[in-house]
Amino acid sequence: MKYHFILLSIVVCFFLINKSYADQKQLVGADADYGEHLFGECVTCHNSTGLGQGIPKITGMKTSQFITKILAYKTKEKENAVMQMVAERLGEEEINSLALYLSKLK
Amino acid sequence: MTKMKRRTFVGLAAATTTTLSMPSIAFGALPRVVVIGGGAGGATAAKYIAKDSKGAIDVTLVEASKRYYTCFFSNLYLGDFRAYGSIGHNYYGLAVNHGVNMVHEWALSVNNAAKKVNLGSGESISYDKLVISPGIDLKFESVNGYSAEAQSKMPHAWKSGTQVQLLKNQVKGMKKGGTFVMVPPPNPYRCPPGPYERVSMIAHQFKKSNPTAKIVILDPKNKFSKQGLFMEGWQKHYPGMIEWISAETHGGIKKINAATMEFETDLDTFKADAASVVPAQRAGRIAMNAGVNNGDWCPIVPASMQAQADENIYVLGDASIAKSMPKSGFSANSQAKVAANHIRGSLTGSKVFTPRFANTCWSLVATNDGIKVGANYKATDEKIDKTSGFISKTGEDSNLRKATYEESIGWYSGITSDMFS
Ligand SMILES: Cc1cc2nc3c(=O)[nH]c(=O)nc-3n(C[C@H](O)[C@H](O)[C@H](O)COP(=O)(O)OP(=O)(O)OC[C@H]3O[C@@H](n4cnc5c(N)ncnc54)[C@H](O)[C@@H]3O)c2cc1C
Repeated sequence: MKYHFILLSIVVCFFLINKSYADQKQLVGADADYGEHLFGECVTCHNSTGLGQGIPKITGMKTSQFITKILAYKTKEKENAVMQMVAERLGEEEINSLALYLSKLK
Repeated sequence: MTKMKRRTFVGLAAATTTTLSMPSIAFGALPRVVVIGGGAGGATAAKYIAKDSKGAIDVTLVEASKRYYTCFFSNLYLGDFRAYGSIGHNYYGLAVNHGVNMVHEWALSVNNAAKKVNLGSGESISYDKLVISPGIDLKFESVNGYSAEAQSKMPHAWKSGTQVQLLKNQVKGMKKGGTFVMVPPPNPYRCPPGPYERVSMIAHQFKKSNPTAKIVILDPKNKFSKQGLFMEGWQKHYPGMIEWISAETHGGIKKINAATMEFETDLDTFKADAASVVPAQRAGRIAMNAGVNNGDWCPIVPASMQAQADENIYVLGDASIAKSMPKSGFSANSQAKVAANHIRGSLTGSKVFTPRFANTCWSLVATNDGIKVGANYKATDEKIDKTSGFISKTGEDSNLRKATYEESIGWYSGITSDMFS
């Protein structure tokens, strides 16, 4: 019984580590410190504590979801003048750093 | 060179130069930052320096008031879109969540050589780096006949607080069919679209309870921020109520008389039943005392927000000459983050990133009719240069305008939580 539990835990841990590695592997040039610094720009509007009335909450967003949305603003597929302007000057390194930082936030 | 390397290089370069100028701190003592002014610039700077240094820097915020009423959304209070209490904030979060030492006093003067701030109580506080974000003082004398005594008859309401409540009371109590006169300030001033949003909100009030009232704007300028958008909105929501008279047309305000409520111009003498006069402005007095001004405002180094006159002092927000950024709460918040990162780098050797500045200003024209203007900026040797921008368009559909208004509510909640919690 105890043995099974340990084995299961090892398998689960391996899976989780592997998954987060797979997520982060794609984040070329990502730097969590830089992400935290850039995040300062987001929280002028995206309330880091509240419910996100009028402006959606971004904390807790999945890495892939975040990247897809930012890219959609960058290519102007997604409408919103402020977000298009924000996304416009985010390069790959900035987007990945933000994504990495966001993934570490609860 | 890859982007990554370029940025790291910026960080290292800054860290290297700052190592040379690291303050001589007694062994074991923490480096000290004093921030004067707990508004959009100062509260943000104090929070980010304290939060990001994780206890490695001792941060003191000197703010005269225990409660900060925002100027932003004070116009929405005039239009009954906000309760006054909802635009007041305290410093609990800064003290409790981030360990900022709150000193609720006036900073009277700065001794640059000894690196000390002298307080109203007679105490003084030492600093390694000083941040000054005192907002504006009003140049009452810029409007002939206006004064600190006249302000209760014709509130400027440009520093929030009781003045805004007084103005609202006068608007609501104005006689039926009466005339409200608005005198906006000359450039440069705090919140370029502010006077015109104020007119919109007062018109909204009149439309409900005093529909035959008139509003006359005696402008010292010939054009103004978001002009096409405001004019379109006034025509649509308040037809015939608002008359904007440019400086060219009225020839200049020669004299005002607060006792008779008269405004003398070349064109005519206008008699008001209620009025708001916003005079010209300058950096808060403490900036002059610290000797970091050149005339009315403070020149800064665009990449760091350091005062050109003293590298140990940073000037943020309205008090600074941050051309081409407008004097807004959003700008002050953005500048504060650049300065906080630079200060932390120079005191602890942490990474200093390439500065990035941004601003967006939302205004409300009428119920669910929000407009906005925004831009990105980067630091050059000479100024904070605009790199791209946008502005709402005339004729936009009402769903977009409603979404823009809702976005502004989100921004208000975001920025105030960013400043205070
Ligand atoms: C009607 C109106 C509407 C506005 N709307 C918007 C808007 O929608 N969006 C936007 O971004 N901006 C808006 N603004 C502009 C915004 O309010 C200012 O640009 C912003 O507050 C500037 O921040 P600051 O840090 O420079 O000064 P402030 O926020 O004014 O803070 C200065 C603080 O310093 C304190 N202080 C000053 N001197 C001393 C001293 N010697 N000792 C101790 N404390 C001191 C003051 O008490 C004050 O709390 C508006 C302004 C007005 C008037």
